[in-house]
Amino acid sequence: MSRQPALMSLQSVAQAIARQHLSSREATQSCLDRIAQWQPRLNAFIAVEAEAALAAADAADAALAKGELSGPLHGVPLAHKDMYYDAGRVVTCGSKIRRDFVPRVTATALQRLKDAGTIRLGSLQMAEFAYGPTGHNAHYGPVHNPWAPDHITGGSSSGSGAAVAARLSFAALGSDTGGSIRMPAHFCGVTGLKTTVGRISRAGAMPLSQSLDTVGPLARSAEDCALLLGLMAGADPEDPTAAGGPLPDYLAAARQPIKGLAVGIPRAFYIDDLDPEIARILDDTIAVLRHEGVNIVEVDLPDQRQLSAACQLVLAVEAAAFHKRWLIERPQDYGPQVLMRLQNGLAVPGVSYLEAMRWRGPALAAHLAAVAGVDAVIAPVAPVAAPTIAASDVGNSPDAEAVIQRLTRFTRPINYLGLPSLAIPAGFTAGGLPVGVQLVGRPFDEAMLLRIGAGLQRATDFHERVPVLA
Amino acid sequence: MTRPSPKQIHAIAGVAGVPVSADVAARIANSIGPAFEGFAAIAGTLPFDLEPATFVAVQSAGTADTTAKKAAT
Repeated sequence: MSRQPALMSLQSVAQAIARQHLSSREATQSCLDRIAQWQPRLNAFIAVEAEAALAAADAADAALAKGELSGPLHGVPLAHKDMYYDAGRVVTCGSKIRRDFVPRVTATALQRLKDAGTIRLGSLQMAEFAYGPTGHNAHYGPVHNPWAPDHITGGSSSGSGAAVAARLSFAALGSDTGGSIRMPAHFCGVTGLKTTVGRISRAGAMPLSQSLDTVGPLARSAEDCALLLGLMAGADPEDPTAAGGPLPDYLAAARQPIKGLAVGIPRAFYIDDLDPEIARILDDTIAVLRHEGVNIVEVDLPDQRQLSAACQLVLAVEAAAFHKRWLIERPQDYGPQVLMRLQNGLAVPGVSYLEAMRWRGPALAAHLAAVAGVDAVIAPVAPVAAPTIAASDVGNSPDAEAVIQRLTRFTRPINYLGLPSLAIPAGFTAGGLPVGVQLVGRPFDEAMLLRIGAGLQRATDFHERVPVLA
Repeated sequence: MTRPSPKQIHAIAGVAGVPVSADVAARIANSIGPAFEGFAAIAGTLPFDLEPATFVAVQSAGTADTTAKKAAT
């Protein structure tokens, strides 16, 4: 095989292993070789489990030799954000407090990927308790952007973004409460799917905000995300908030043509105060959609600043409530910025929190009315490309929250509304930093986003570009 | 709805069982204050009968697997 197996897509490597054109050991060793090269530069992994991964790969190969195919991802090595409980294994949640935490259960999303045949490469870095959009971590150090190591990856799924971009893992689980899948997808040049609240079970996933948390994949393409979503979505007796009902064939949806679809472009907010290169790339992406036969329609969305503020109130309170015991007993064990943000929740009266929760239904109804004529809305993920690690290392300084809010201003309204959003690579700045756009859909209509995203990726090659180790 | 003052935050945090210093209260006020201002136009205006579960109802009603529907037509 002329290409490194680690450079293959998730679908391709799974097919190659299933057809015995490639062994799981070869695929796993290829990832481990790249991890050995890149990890000192990126700090993307919290733990690399090379011996165990190779042993699991050998077992997968032996099973296949006997005609036993465990699932559609048989023998495919993956690593995930270190917040998905895996019974009997340490799950740090990116924290000092849970440095030695060993759960007794396995997260449903992770178990479903295991049932599909995946094997474990190790665990990926993340913002402490998934509460930070930059990729800084006071305990384990920052994750470095594979395209420019002095720049951030975005967070909180920082290791997931870096590992998928550098081709260290074929895909990775992330989580998105205020932008934590889409930010690293945007900053690292990978595809990330924030799912509808309720689309994928959250059982066994570390909580941050029960109203806003979502599970989703970061991968190398929309089709790979479709494959993973199909494996993880659906009802779960361990999570009563996980939606039941029939699931569409996401992979089939991603392969449908996009000609004749309608995509909305907001007239305000998402086009305001953009870095010129972000604006250019958004315009270029819209031009590609038009070229592919998509109708571009301007839409007037309700006031997104109100949605963003409501999201902040809900997130602050729910995060503080989850962490209250540790805020009392172990405040010194938090990083300064995470402690500061958790303390913010103490300032929100119960009535204010409940008003923000009560408004969620009418706010979603108003949004759906505004986008009734389109299949999805396109918007930037962030107003800038990846800042430097130094410039964004604001800790708990007085302006830290303002920096955080600026970075996440285009993602938080979507979380408040619980909508699905697909972030896909859309271009590069003159300095070589990747830039993404997000496609926002209706509740539970991930299929449409994957269809449009895959259509865009058939017409462009930004998702196929691979960073080079300097 | 106005943003809480550091003095009010100091009191609220104490009632919550997580007392904070005056400096921390001032920092919290600075951090969370803009969220209160952003939500001010909504606060105090919601109908009496509106409950949080309305979100789930709207979400279900707004559900649309449009790809499947378009493929079927």
